[in-house]
Amino acid sequence: MSERFWLLTLAAVLGLAAALPAQDCHVALRGHVYDAETREPLAYATVRVAETNLGTMADENGYYVLPDHCEGTTYTVIVTHVACEHFTQVVKLVENQAFDFWLSHVAHLQEITVLERAVAPTPVQASQEVSSSDLAAGQGVNITETMKKLPGVTSINTGATIAKPVIQGLHSNRIALINNQVTLESQQWGSEHAPEIDPFTAGKITVLKGAAGVRYGVGAMGGAILIEPEPLREKAGWGGWLHGGVFSNGLAGVAAGAADWKKAEGSLAIRLQGTIKRSGNLRAPDYWLGNTGASEANLSVMTGWQSGRWRHDLSASTFNQKLGILRASHQGNLTDLLLAIEADTPRNNQNWFAYDIARPYQTVNHQTFQYRTGLRLNEKWKFSGQYSLQYNERKEYDVVRKTSAAADKPQLLFDLWTNQVNLALEHFPIRHWQGGVGVQALQQKNTVGKGGLIPNYDTYGGAIWAMERWRKYPNPWEFEVGARYDYRYTNVFTTGNLVDVDTTLVFGNVSGTVGAVYHFNKSLSLSLHSGYAWRPPHVNELYARGVHFGSGIYEQGRSDLRPEKALNTNLTLLYQAKRVVASLSVYHNSIKDFIYLEPQDELVLTVRGAFPAYFFEQDDAILQGLDGSVSVPVFGRMSVEGRVSLLRAYRMTRDSGESMDHKTWLPLMPSDRYQYGMKWRFGRDEQTTNNSESFVRLLASTTLEQTRLPQEGLLKPAPEAFTVLALEAVHTFVIGKKTLEVGLNVQNLTNLRYREYLNFFRFYADEPGLNAGLRAKITF
Amino acid sequence: MSNKHFKLPLFVLLATTGLFFTACNNDDDDGTAQENITTIQVHLTGAGLDQEFEWNDLDGVGGNNPVIDTIVVPAMTGDILSHIHVYDRSKTPEVDITDEIEAESGAHLLTYAVAGANLNIAYDDADDNGKPLGIKTIWTNTGASTGTLRIILYHEPSNKDNLSDPGGETDFDVTFPVVVQ
Repeated sequence: MSERFWLLTLAAVLGLAAALPAQDCHVALRGHVYDAETREPLAYATVRVAETNLGTMADENGYYVLPDHCEGTTYTVIVTHVACEHFTQVVKLVENQAFDFWLSHVAHLQEITVLERAVAPTPVQASQEVSSSDLAAGQGVNITETMKKLPGVTSINTGATIAKPVIQGLHSNRIALINNQVTLESQQWGSEHAPEIDPFTAGKITVLKGAAGVRYGVGAMGGAILIEPEPLREKAGWGGWLHGGVFSNGLAGVAAGAADWKKAEGSLAIRLQGTIKRSGNLRAPDYWLGNTGASEANLSVMTGWQSGRWRHDLSASTFNQKLGILRASHQGNLTDLLLAIEADTPRNNQNWFAYDIARPYQTVNHQTFQYRTGLRLNEKWKFSGQYSLQYNERKEYDVVRKTSAAADKPQLLFDLWTNQVNLALEHFPIRHWQGGVGVQALQQKNTVGKGGLIPNYDTYGGAIWAMERWRKYPNPWEFEVGARYDYRYTNVFTTGNLVDVDTTLVFGNVSGTVGAVYHFNKSLSLSLHSGYAWRPPHVNELYARGVHFGSGIYEQGRSDLRPEKALNTNLTLLYQAKRVVASLSVYHNSIKDFIYLEPQDELVLTVRGAFPAYFFEQDDAILQGLDGSVSVPVFGRMSVEGRVSLLRAYRMTRDSGESMDHKTWLPLMPSDRYQYGMKWRFGRDEQTTNNSESFVRLLASTTLEQTRLPQEGLLKPAPEAFTVLALEAVHTFVIGKKTLEVGLNVQNLTNLRYREYLNFFRFYADEPGLNAGLRAKITF
Repeated sequence: MSNKHFKLPLFVLLATTGLFFTACNNDDDDGTAQENITTIQVHLTGAGLDQEFEWNDLDGVGGNNPVIDTIVVPAMTGDILSHIHVYDRSKTPEVDITDEIEAESGAHLLTYAVAGANLNIAYDDADDNGKPLGIKTIWTNTGASTGTLRIILYHEPSNKDNLSDPGGETDFDVTFPVVVQ
């Protein structure tokens, strides 16, 4: 679809909005929130109206205001505050009347409050939030593991230690990871480069499926993952948590903790958070996976304060990881690779347990610094600004001769500096339209060590966006519309390499989004969302030249690749009642100029022998599928749950001599998968938050064999279908003012021997066997 | 609200950030070192012969095809001694990798496979454990013929007694045309 069409559509919708007649629903719901015990005003409580789903935060004097509500209408108001009880009250709105709420403390309940975000959440786009129990269960493993229970989300792995999230078949450069409102900038083009995010910093993870480019830029062509920390402490004094976990497979240990402090007078709050992890060789059911140990140490500081009408947030974090790579995966040439593929058990395997991490391994450092500010201009308008600096350093250590000059040095080095500035002007409902406009600027410098796979580059980028959404309660319709323009200027050059590149690339394009939701009733809604997003080709796809030893192929970039453009349409039916939750989503993603690796007829002769050649090519591709999930109570406290993710992904190609395009399946797409399980809840029933539930859950995951494969370039057939079982048990104890959450999590309960198609190391070794993890978290 | 409120966190943050950013930037020059075998040289001596034959891929993987000499051996002349040299000529000065192979002789193995030609190749050296290494070999032939010679260097072989599949990984795998005349 052309850019012009999109601009016209946007103009039409925006014009329509301006032409709408004025409504009589401009009454503000306002008042104060007080502490019921001390009778003092309670600062920073969250006030939300259930029917309109509009919320705000009370200021330091406990005053809140929610404009644009209808007079004479009855609303359900929910007031929450850290360390206070949930407070729900039904009010009938009368103009010129203030509504005051009184909250009392309950020590053991820790409510999660949501701060106002720089950019409002998408109501229309298909999105799913990781439940806090899944979050807690996956935190000890890695960030990708926490998301895998969402339908439509899988992972692409390089061995057992490196995992990247895949949303509806797309990953790496096609999805964006937004950590605490900062887009993660690292070497995400590589499928063996895992995201540099500590899962223990996450208080909430939301996955946006489909094109999210308007909100999150060119990286979010296939979706976005939002990782948000828990808000800072809002009550004076100390708080925090400690988490300890052990895992049987790899004899792994993890310790994490956070300390929160809020000044007695004033608004200053600080958090210090840290994580350390260590694990040794993992074990597949029949053998050890040599050199799969890992170590990690992360630290972050967050602080926030209010100064007059300004809100300030400063934070800094460091992420440091060392990952062993399965020794048996290291192949010298195609002959070695074919021998490794034929072998039943891994060749050159270090079949014993060890914590030592030897070559090959990789180390990653990621440092982030950010400053964010917000200013409430008046009752309608809000300004926000953010500056962030990121430094990412990746070193890859290969197997080398111990006496060579390379013996104490990495063989590959990537160094990436990123500066980003975001400014936004947002408004609360004006004639029922809520939204904002913003600008973003980015500067990036990537340095690759000598003989690296890709050239160096300097990038400068800019973007401008506008987004509005309409909701007039009780009208069952809800609309969203947005547009964005992105510009990227990149200077690509090499120094001292065998291949010389020195050129300038300029890309610019629009993104757009339109969506509508129809609420049949309180529980049932249907939403239709269409997004248009793009992505410039990455330097890797343009200029790569080298052998990818993991897959035994020679890869070569093509310098004239055009940007990829995706038009994604998503229809979602959502049912949310008290105990029954069900969602069904069908999607169609049409990507113009999809970039992929095309096998060539020739072999490339190198000193290590001949390798099959793959060149980067582009063609139009279609990805379509269905994601569904359901959770239904059966009897008493037992419920059953099920999830399904189906995907069909192909490209249209025309070989020489053909008059018509024909379908060719895309490689490395997730096969159909089903999850089904039972959950028994016990302990307190109502009034418990997700954070403190107690349950036992048995979950089975069935992954079918991927039969939709391109014919060429298949070194080994895709692995057979398999079903793995997982058992999970969580109980929360309340000890005075503290809570102690204890969890048991057993993965691959039957110690099944299997291989996963989306794991690059499926050629060499089985997936890890049974892994029992025990964790305890104390919150005080 | 006074300015006092943000002086403390600002200080803490700047101090810690400073630590983060300086802690990991201690690499001098480029910091990387890659081994790039560009050249395999077969040096033949004996029977009136003193000649070098080379397999060269100076621009590395892809780009121009490797340049490969044809090894010419005089027929029926008795023992010819062969010495292999391995170089990285993408660097200046060139790096002689042969020394590294000899220094870690137990972790290396060269194998020779002749196809078509009437050429026999026998090991003339051994590693620290008395197992074959293959830098030095003795070549004999039984008459004029043509064919190919495939030379493979294995790193960290797991079983040096099985010369057809010693395990480990391949550092180079090159094939020369051979003429015995």
